[in-house]
Amino acid sequence: MTIEFIWQLPTSGDGRYGDAGQTRRGERTASSRPPFTEGVSDPRGDRFNFLDHLHQIARAADLAGFDGIQIQNDLEGDESWIVAGYLARSSRRLKLLTEFEASRGSAVYAAKNAVSFQRFTGGRFAWQISQGGDAALRRRHGDYAADSERLPRIGEFVEVARGVLTQSPFSFKGQFFEVLDGGFNGPLANHPVPLIYLSGNTPEALRLSARSADVHILDAAPAEELKASVATLQGLAAVQGRRIAFGLRIDVLARETEDEAVHDAQRFLAQSGRAVGSTDPVVGPNLWAGFATAQTGAAASLVGSYGQVAERLTKYADIGISSFVLAAIPHFEEAYRIGEQVLPVVRSRIATQLSKAA
Amino acid sequence: MTIDIFWRIPTHGEPSSHRSRKPWRGDWFPGNDNLTKPGLSGGEDGTSYIDYLAEIARAAEISGFQGGLIPSFPSTDEPWVISAFLARETKTFRFMIPFQPGFLNPVVAARKTASLQRATGGRALYNIITGGGGPQQLWWGDSVAHDDRYARTTEFLDVVRGVWNGGPFSYQGKFYQVEDAGLPDPLSAEEFPEIYFSGSSDAALASASKHADYYLSWLEPFDALRDKFNRVKERTDVLGRKIQCAVRVDIVARPTEEEAWEEIRRGFDNIDPAALARFQGTGERSESVGAARQRDFRPTTINSYKDLIIEPNVWSGFSLLRGGQTQGIVGSYEQVAERLDDLVRLGADAFILASTPHLEEAYRVGEEVLPLVRGRPSGSAVLRAVG
Repeated sequence: MTIEFIWQLPTSGDGRYGDAGQTRRGERTASSRPPFTEGVSDPRGDRFNFLDHLHQIARAADLAGFDGIQIQNDLEGDESWIVAGYLARSSRRLKLLTEFEASRGSAVYAAKNAVSFQRFTGGRFAWQISQGGDAALRRRHGDYAADSERLPRIGEFVEVARGVLTQSPFSFKGQFFEVLDGGFNGPLANHPVPLIYLSGNTPEALRLSARSADVHILDAAPAEELKASVATLQGLAAVQGRRIAFGLRIDVLARETEDEAVHDAQRFLAQSGRAVGSTDPVVGPNLWAGFATAQTGAAASLVGSYGQVAERLTKYADIGISSFVLAAIPHFEEAYRIGEQVLPVVRSRIATQLSKAA
Repeated sequence: MTIDIFWRIPTHGEPSSHRSRKPWRGDWFPGNDNLTKPGLSGGEDGTSYIDYLAEIARAAEISGFQGGLIPSFPSTDEPWVISAFLARETKTFRFMIPFQPGFLNPVVAARKTASLQRATGGRALYNIITGGGGPQQLWWGDSVAHDDRYARTTEFLDVVRGVWNGGPFSYQGKFYQVEDAGLPDPLSAEEFPEIYFSGSSDAALASASKHADYYLSWLEPFDALRDKFNRVKERTDVLGRKIQCAVRVDIVARPTEEEAWEEIRRGFDNIDPAALARFQGTGERSESVGAARQRDFRPTTINSYKDLIIEPNVWSGFSLLRGGQTQGIVGSYEQVAERLDDLVRLGADAFILASTPHLEEAYRVGEEVLPLVRGRPSGSAVLRAVG
């Protein structure tokens, strides 16, 4: 399995430093204070908003050698499918890993929209279907499904979408979705089903991934701990006669030296109002837990020199991770840094290992 | 109010003229699902049909159209996707997105719309369609009955409007519920999209009167259309909400009337006899009242294209030349502009025009016909036709 590096696109805002919620580059709202003094003219007017900056981040990921972008389903930000389409024509090869919830509406309609994405991008559209927040948050978004119904609903969503994308006629009547003699014909037929990325740590989530996912994304944890999850899930998939790939959602803070990285990490914590606490954030080699912001959403971050971070990522590849969904604040500048300083090292180490193994 | 004139994006693909179905631009082809060498799509250089659609959108905005309707059918690409893809490479083109409320969670729809407004600088519009019912509706995975679907449309728009400016908004409907919902800042600062509403049944009119800005009809014989618009405006006036009317109409405009009809004649002579037989027959019925009205205006015997001329400059065979609506306007540039002004006098406030091929014809119509349309100068009273 080839390794892919996917860069996160922060759809509700980014940070210059640690205060990630505070900055939406390009955005002007009526209430926000003009950035320049009265003595300096500002040519921008209201001609830009944060989407222009998201566009720059996507271009940065493209130019810096990432294989894809993950377009977050952040309910405080812009809607992921619109962002995906808005960026699609500005990159020639990035996979558009678009996150959403199965509460968004008809699975047939989602599949039909996906066909247009695949036609217009040469098959670069991919789905990350997430479970969403707690019940109160989901009610705010018109979703009254019970907690226990979330995973079965994702299962049906995938089944219906795959069905209409690969068969015609296709009929299905489930608890959440229904279609009669569906399926796409003519030029809409036979386009690749978006690769499906799922996640979750419960036994139910693992069983769903075994049945329905192309890639199961694991939360960041020490590599040794993830080994067991990989083995368990691959076993469940084998029972279904399937093999699935594994992803890792992890943040990275990489600098020329480890000292610099640790210094910046501590400053980052201080700036985001979280003093370096009494509990040691370091939970593994170069791995800090409780460090990422709500905006990036990672369970843990790699903090270290370029070489150290590359080494740790290689280690994850060794235990079977092939999709790295990475993020760092600010996403624009860090896309270049990670793309230039870390990815080439990881890629060459993995290539060397493969050639030795061969 | 002045008249807004839109164009259409041919999501079906299209032939390069009204005269013949070949060559076909794009990879969709009515009656031929196995087009082996699609034009303008699927090229080895990575081009796809969106590249051609981008050309049309830009031609339409450069030649003065407001924007365009982006039709959605089971066989077409999807307007939400097309709009997002073309957001950055258009400047003034407004994306009119048809969709059925049953397909999207209304809160998700509100976020999608606000994001599209942000991506385009406020150039998104809705064309709310509620669906023709029958097997087609189940194909989309929707089994709600006809009149219930309009109730759902009303609820859907209640929720989208309710959450739009940030809320908190709670709603307990038959189809939708939300609790403390609202768009986040800065999405909540966007303008709500104008709503074009389609549907000819009484249930549709009741729903339209609550939420629509424009009631959208296909072209029908002028007297029928006048009655329909009067009925819509009376109905919505009673409910206290002013609604405008819009007409979708295909046109063939040429320097002279003779040239325009010659275009139609050649197209008609190239029609597959089987297609003509289907056109005259009953065809597959849906629950759509609008589609039934279109059939009612059709003659029963057709020996020549002239048998389909139902009033001056109006030809009712357009669906034979390409998919879509039946009635359209044929004539010289002056005549087409005059007929459009006739429609303004009987109550039209906006138009969605189309002609094949949509790319070159956007320039022709924008340059030759639109400058001749008198429309309704700003400030003049809205005339209600009385016979």
